[in-house]
Amino acid sequence: MSQFIAATGFGIVNAGIFALAAVGFTLQFSVTNVLNIAFGAIMTLAAFVAYELNVVVGADIWLALIIAAAASGILSVLINRGIIQPFLKRGTSFFGMVVITIALDLMVEYAVEAIWGPTFLHYNVAAGSPVTLGSLSFTHFQLVAIGISVVGMLAIHLLLKRTKLGKAMRATSCDPRLSKVCGIRTSRIHDAGWFLSGMLAGMAGVILGLTLGTFSFTVGDSYLIVIIAATMLGGIGQAYGAMLGAVVIGLVTQWSSLVISGGYSEVVAFVILVAVLLIRPTGIISGVAADRNMAA
Amino acid sequence: MSNSDIYLLTTLLVYTGVAMIASWGLNLQIGETNVLNFGFILFEAVGAYVTAILTLGPDTGNGGVQQYVFGAVLPFPVPWLVAMVVGAALGLVMGLLTVRRLRGDYEAVVMLVMAVVAYYAVSADTSLLNGSEGLSLIPAPFTGAVGGGPNTSMTYRWVYVAVVALVCVLAFIVVNRVTSAPLGRALRAVRDNDAVAMSLGKDATRLRILVQMVGGALGALAGAMLVQWVGAWAPGSWTYPETFTLFAAIIVGGTANIAGVGLGAVIVPGIILEGVIFLPTFGPSYLTPALQWILIGVLIVGFMWFRPQGIIPERRRRFPALAVPGTAGESNAVQLVDLEPRRS
Repeated sequence: MSQFIAATGFGIVNAGIFALAAVGFTLQFSVTNVLNIAFGAIMTLAAFVAYELNVVVGADIWLALIIAAAASGILSVLINRGIIQPFLKRGTSFFGMVVITIALDLMVEYAVEAIWGPTFLHYNVAAGSPVTLGSLSFTHFQLVAIGISVVGMLAIHLLLKRTKLGKAMRATSCDPRLSKVCGIRTSRIHDAGWFLSGMLAGMAGVILGLTLGTFSFTVGDSYLIVIIAATMLGGIGQAYGAMLGAVVIGLVTQWSSLVISGGYSEVVAFVILVAVLLIRPTGIISGVAADRNMAA
Repeated sequence: MSNSDIYLLTTLLVYTGVAMIASWGLNLQIGETNVLNFGFILFEAVGAYVTAILTLGPDTGNGGVQQYVFGAVLPFPVPWLVAMVVGAALGLVMGLLTVRRLRGDYEAVVMLVMAVVAYYAVSADTSLLNGSEGLSLIPAPFTGAVGGGPNTSMTYRWVYVAVVALVCVLAFIVVNRVTSAPLGRALRAVRDNDAVAMSLGKDATRLRILVQMVGGALGALAGAMLVQWVGAWAPGSWTYPETFTLFAAIIVGGTANIAGVGLGAVIVPGIILEGVIFLPTFGPSYLTPALQWILIGVLIVGFMWFRPQGIIPERRRRFPALAVPGTAGESNAVQLVDLEPRRS
């Protein structure tokens, strides 16, 4: 039983990180209709930018996180303006766009390796004493990770539901041409979508580096597949679906390690994903109700 | 040429030939039929593993240093042929699972996920295919006939290059036949507009599954040829980004043009990825591979922007127009149309 509780604890931490990344990934997809594989590389880059600020410059890790997240958001907007939009204006196919984002992913990821090398790095932070909640034991960073994730999800919820920008984002994802006719400046909404998604990627990347302890240049890409799994599980383009998918994937991968070897936890996650896609290709959350009320 | 030059050159040639066959297989899927197989490397992996366990013998051999299932010693062409059959069977399974039910983008992601699942499963289970350490000491074929192996005889290395070249020629003939036959036209019809193709009685689903099988067999053959050359195979050899080197080859060379894809395989996996063995080493050991991947990324984006059709573009197929009643006055002028003629 105690093992189960410990696994649940780890599962919640992972779910928090996956949720940040998955919501970023899915928001960007729903607003701009580009499946952005470079998302993983942006996570990695943010983790390393934070490393540079934290270890080389000597900044506090939380300041480093904020700067790295903002930088990732700006880089995402630049990628959108400089590369994605010109290709879209030319009418490059959906598949062509995926290939381009894969190419960008390779470029950014291996640029990180060329600059920082292939070794595992860690942040310069004090470990602190573990915090016990009931029979769950968390490190300081795991708790902060959960906290950031919860606050982040709440902020995304409020953004989508309560602000004009969120409304415009939902409208753009629903019908970009009609939105344009209604006076929404969709190119700005696209920029906002890319910025938000890049920022969430950056936050997830740094937090991943913090909770993992050590990380290398493959950190973002090794988690990207899980993030795509969480996204698709919840129904791609659905912000709340991505949160749900992240929780499912985070918990199930940890629980499965109690039953079978831990090496199989990814396999379990992917098998669930494939099964869901084959039975219900639209993911858990889909349909009119979701489109109208729930998500971006 | 010194022996070390021959050593490097033959390696380059074998890798290029292997990549060429794999690229043709993938091109049948993404180029000719628009089956977005992001998990193509799985076929190569399966072909390599099948060949390995069909040549290694029981896993008690070699002092039992590695564990794997089955284990047999079959004479030279048999493991390659079995690998192709297994590759085709895997293509059938992937096709039945994905092509029938899922839209293009989901289909692409599910195939990618399958390759990743296989990677983790093979890595995690040591008793299946020796886990993440992988299989090694895989014997080279026809060593007895040539009198030496890849590490002892330069003659053997040239013989292997010749065999790979021969297989490339055979694969070229097969792929060329498939793409220029009515079957190829049906595939491109499915690619360009599957609703129209279906309305003309072409079974789009069956055709997609068919290219999964043919492409799978070619990918497995490539893996079989590669594994008996290098003598070792581990999950690290077939991580999912490896598929994108083949994508890059196709995009650079020319999508849906066999000669173009062949040229792309020479340029990307050949010259860019393997050709560096001729260059003097510079910087730390990780720098060259990193720059290679960056260069591949730049090539993909650059070609997609400046020359999306690739170096050798897809041939625009032209056919004489069928005689249309009422236009007899112009019948002497051979009118060329881009549309495919439909035989009634």
